[in-house]
Amino acid sequence: MRLVNFIAGRIAVYVMVLAVGMTILFFVPRFAPTDPVDAMLAKIAVQSGYMDASQVDALRASLSDTFGLDGSLLEQYGAFLRRVFVEFDFGPSLSMYPTPVMELISNALPWTFGLLFSATIIAWVLGNFVGLLAGWKPNSNAGRAMEGLAICLYPIPYYIVALILSVLFSYVWAIFPLTTTIRGAPWSWDLVRSIVWNSFLPAMAIVITTFGWWIISVKAQTQALKEEEFVRYARLKGLSDARLLGRYILPNALLPQITFLALQIGLMFNGSLITEIIFDYPGLGLLIYKAVLQGDYNLLMGTISLSIVAVATATMIIDFLYPLIDPRIRHG
Amino acid sequence: MIEVDNVTLGYGSRNFITAVDGASMTIGRNEIVGVAGESGSGKSTLMRAIYGDFSTGLRLRSGRITATFPDRAPIDCSEMRKTWWQDISYVPQGSMSVLNPLMKVHKQLIDGLPKHKRKGDRRAIRRDLETFLAGLDLDPSVLDAYPHQLSGGMRQRVLVAIASYVGPHLILADEPTTALDVVVQKRILLMLVEIQRRLGNTLVLVSHDLGVHYQIADRLIIMFKGEVVETGPTDEIFANPKHEYTQRLIGSLPRLGTRKSTVTALRRATP
Ligand SMILES: Nc1ncnc2c1ncn2[C@@H]1O[C@H](COP(=O)(O)OP(=O)(O)O)[C@@H](O)[C@H]1O
Ligand SMILES: [Mg+2]
Repeated sequence: MRLVNFIAGRIAVYVMVLAVGMTILFFVPRFAPTDPVDAMLAKIAVQSGYMDASQVDALRASLSDTFGLDGSLLEQYGAFLRRVFVEFDFGPSLSMYPTPVMELISNALPWTFGLLFSATIIAWVLGNFVGLLAGWKPNSNAGRAMEGLAICLYPIPYYIVALILSVLFSYVWAIFPLTTTIRGAPWSWDLVRSIVWNSFLPAMAIVITTFGWWIISVKAQTQALKEEEFVRYARLKGLSDARLLGRYILPNALLPQITFLALQIGLMFNGSLITEIIFDYPGLGLLIYKAVLQGDYNLLMGTISLSIVAVATATMIIDFLYPLIDPRIRHG
Repeated sequence: MIEVDNVTLGYGSRNFITAVDGASMTIGRNEIVGVAGESGSGKSTLMRAIYGDFSTGLRLRSGRITATFPDRAPIDCSEMRKTWWQDISYVPQGSMSVLNPLMKVHKQLIDGLPKHKRKGDRRAIRRDLETFLAGLDLDPSVLDAYPHQLSGGMRQRVLVAIASYVGPHLILADEPTTALDVVVQKRILLMLVEIQRRLGNTLVLVSHDLGVHYQIADRLIIMFKGEVVETGPTDEIFANPKHEYTQRLIGSLPRLGTRKSTVTALRRATP
């Protein structure tokens, strides 16, 4: 019963987050002082020189349509939601005309997803492992050193770490490429090597900025758990340190870490967008950046809607891992 | 089996606070020893020292505690760890958080055992556990339960089962029935007595409740402000308490009338 409640509650939150996010995304451009159609027309007029009035009107009508600005506000809202959730269609990109926005996004998404997923796993596993040991022996030299490292690392913003890594390892010592170029035939070893090689620094930037936080939080968990009655009881049963850590402390320390991961994933997503821009990495972040720079309204709406959906979905999936570990929710 | 010789125990190193002051006693084979005394009189401290649990600042300042288990050379309490969950086990007070919330009961039943008993044919171990629980009148379904699914009384019975599955020579139980209602309390006391009779080992039961001791203890140790003030067979102490504190303790009890019936019923039930 608790499990059903948990899942239903979580899905309700998911739907609400999406509804709120999409509504804001729908209304914000409509409150902007400039009309995107006029702005676009002006831009096209500059590029193509003279246009007569009938051409301008035809262009205005078609732009109005692609921007979804036809009909009453309610109709526009309905059409917008249909585009996002049913048709998955945001029209053509204006800066890379006539490539559909959806095509650009579906090319970029695997990069962002792959980068974020691998960096998150590495940071989470490494941070939890180090934090667990640091919390187990908090007064050892290694434990202190690890905590010091974590405290130094975790307030540094993404872009600083990304810039430092990029300057040090692509410029001063040109070990890794400065910008991303992927080479190799599809499904070949060369391709894999090229991807790993090009993704190493961006991934490291995310790992370094996030794993300090994991160390700090799991260390606090471990130290608290050491004093728990059930750990004390297990120790008095004569269990070895390794089994105490592996079977009693670790699983219990990881539970809140899953919740934290769900809370952090949005922040990490933002971080990876910045990282992508710095390393010229062909993901969603770079796409959003280009859309902003070039005033590509369709592309911007498409990338942002997708970001909202992606982050909300990832958060929910992580939350669904929780009952797999915690029997108190599984068998309520 | 256990020889406590003029032991002074306390906490902290720089500011040593005495908790047990010059206590001496003997715990023999095949008996139920009750340790009584008001809260703060040092019962738990003494038990921890006998068990060899010198964590959280507990220190043995003077005296010695020696254990002599069958098939083992006499051992000092500082080395007691080697015998944990083999010769000696203990029953903690079964609060909500004494079992690992993420682990099923059957795993927690065997995970203190030495490796060769823990590993092996899973189905054989499972069958053994089920038979064992049935012998204690516990439903085998508790094996697959998580701690949060058990009631307070059931959790305490599981803790007793865990400590006795080891088949140790000595079981220490520190306030195992405190915070439980009288019916459940009685059930657990019966369970403890039955296990002791069956294994023929020694049970040391700590309780501030003299009524509990009256029901099951063969011998009593009365503690008062960190000192052992009186020891002797339960019947004798109840009939003729010597120390002024013991007299007060017994005087404050409501009418007693269950000892003979409980003990004889138990003796009859377990030949
Ligand atoms: N971990 C500890 N650290 C410091 N003092 C303690 C600790 N445990 C118990 N004491 C003190 O030792 C004395 C005896 O306590 P305890 O052995 O728990 O008594 P009892 O079990 O009879 O209630 C008390 O004064 C108590 O405050
Ligand atoms: Mg106590």
